[in-house]
Amino acid sequence: MNIIECRGLTRQYKTYRRREGGWNAIKGFFNRQTELKTAVKPTNLTIQDGQVVGLVGANGAGKTTLLKMFSGLIHPSGGEISVLGFKPFERKTDFLRQISILLGQKAQLWWDLPAADSFNLLTRIYDLDPVQAKNHWLDLAERLDCRDQLYVQLRRLSLGERMKMEIIGSLLHRPRVLFLDEPTIGLDVLAQTTIRHFLTEYVQEHRPTIILTSHYMDDISQLADRLLLISRGEIVYDGDVGHFLSYAEKTLKLDIKSEETDFEQVIHKFFEKESGRGQIGHPHTT
Amino acid sequence: MAILTQLEYRLNFTIDAVIQPILTATVETALWLGIFSALGAGELGGFGRESYLAYALWANFVSRVTTNWMYEYNMLDEIDSGRVNAILMRPISFYEFYLSQFMGYKFLVAVISFVIPLTFCFVFGFPVQVERFPVMLLFVMYYLIFVHTLSFCVACLAFYLNRAHSFTGVKNLAIWVMAGEMIPLDLYPEPLKSLLLHSPFASGVYVPVGFMTGRVGFDYLGQSVISVTVGILVIGLIGRFLWKRGLRVYSGTGA
Repeated sequence: MNIIECRGLTRQYKTYRRREGGWNAIKGFFNRQTELKTAVKPTNLTIQDGQVVGLVGANGAGKTTLLKMFSGLIHPSGGEISVLGFKPFERKTDFLRQISILLGQKAQLWWDLPAADSFNLLTRIYDLDPVQAKNHWLDLAERLDCRDQLYVQLRRLSLGERMKMEIIGSLLHRPRVLFLDEPTIGLDVLAQTTIRHFLTEYVQEHRPTIILTSHYMDDISQLADRLLLISRGEIVYDGDVGHFLSYAEKTLKLDIKSEETDFEQVIHKFFEKESGRGQIGHPHTT
Repeated sequence: MAILTQLEYRLNFTIDAVIQPILTATVETALWLGIFSALGAGELGGFGRESYLAYALWANFVSRVTTNWMYEYNMLDEIDSGRVNAILMRPISFYEFYLSQFMGYKFLVAVISFVIPLTFCFVFGFPVQVERFPVMLLFVMYYLIFVHTLSFCVACLAFYLNRAHSFTGVKNLAIWVMAGEMIPLDLYPEPLKSLLLHSPFASGVYVPVGFMTGRVGFDYLGQSVISVTVGILVIGLIGRFLWKRGLRVYSGTGA
C-alpha cells in the first residue's frame, strides 16, 4: 500500500537579494529585487507502508523542503501530493493525528516548561488517554535513558537531552508516518548512538513509515532500507542502502561515513563512474 | 499552560501584574490632581475630582489587562522564526492555542491586580460600584477575545514581513488613545467622541472603568457587547484571510 505518492511535486521560494554596502541598502529600501529559487524540481515518488527511507543530500539540496511538503508544513508550488490519502497542506485533523515531524534544529516542545508538562499538554491536544499516554512517555524516557530530566525546564537541558525529549514528544501519539529531519545533528557520539539504537528498536516494534534525512550515513545505514539521493532539488538515485554504501566505499573508495562527507561530491563521483558502466539502483529522471 | 509558564517567572509576573500599573497609575493620578488644582474647579465634564482619580487608578490596571504585548510578540516570533511549525504539525489551531494561553494568563493577572484599585477606592473613598465587579470582569474577559483576534491579525503579518514587531507598538498606542486610557472618552470632542464610544475599542478601558466608577450603566455595557461582537467577527474574517494566504507563502523557516 502506498502511503506517500507525489507527481510533478515542486517548490519554489521567492528570495530578496541586495548587494553589500549602505547605498545598496538605501536602494533596496525603495526597490526590492526578488528572484525565484527552485528548491525542489518536479518530483515523482511513491513510498510504501512500513518503509524506512533515507533522504540524503548536501546542504540546500532540497531534503527538508521535500519533508516539509510531505508533512504539510508548506504548500507545494506545483504538482500533486497525497500522504495517507490526504493532501498534506490542508492539514486535516485526521491527517495530523497520524503523522509526526521532528526537526532536529528546531525545538517543538515548550521551552519554558519541563518536558513532563509538555507531554501532558500533548496528551490533551491529541486527545489521548492520560494514563496510557503517561505510561507510554515514561517507557520511552526509560528507553532513552532520560527519566531524570523529565521534570527539568526544557531550556535548562543539554542538546542531547532536549533531542531525546523531542523524540518522545513526536512519538507520544504513535504516528503512522514519521518525518525525521536530522535527528542526531550536533549531538555527541554517545547521544547519537543512544538515539540510533532507540529508533532501530522502535521501528522493529511499531513498523511506522519513516522518512529520515541526515548528514550522518550511520543514521541512514542503521535505520533505512531505501535510499534517496537528492541533488540540487532533484532525486538522482533511488535504491538499496547497503548496495550504495558498499559500491561507494569499495569501488569509488569514498569514506561516506565521515561527518565531513560532502554529499554533492559523492553524488558527482558516483555518476561520473556510472556514466561509463551500467547503473546500480534506479536513478530518477524527474 | 500559560499559568504554569508564568509561574516559572515570578518576578516578571509581579512586575507585569502589579508594579507597572502601580507606577503608571501614580503618574496619572498626580496629573489629574495637578489639573484640578490648576483649574480650581470642583468638577470637569460633570464629574468631580474623586471620580477622575478613580478613573485614572482603574484605567491603568484595566489597560494592563486589555493590552496584548507579550503574547502578540510571542505569536509574531513563532511565525517569524518558524517555531510555529510545532503548532502547525499538531491537531490544534494556532488561534485557539494562543487564545487559551492569553485568556488564562490575563484572568490570573486581572484577579490579582484588580484587588489593588478596589482597595485604594475603599481606603480613599473614591467612587466604586463593588457589586458590579464580577460583571466587569466577565466583560473584560469577553473583550480579550477581540484583543486576541487583533493580535492574531498582526501576527499573520509575519508571514509576509520579516520584522513586523513595530505594528504591535503602533496598534497598542492607537488603542490606548481610542480606549480612553489617559483621558475618559466623554471628554473627547464630537464627532470623535461618538465614533469611539460606538467602536469596540471603547470597551478596552472606558466602558469597564466607567462601569465600575459609575460613569456608565448596564445599558451602555449591553451596547458595547454588541460592538465587541461585531469587532470579533470582522477582524476574525480578516485574520482568517491573512492566515490562509500566509500559509501559502510560508517557507517553514519563517517569513
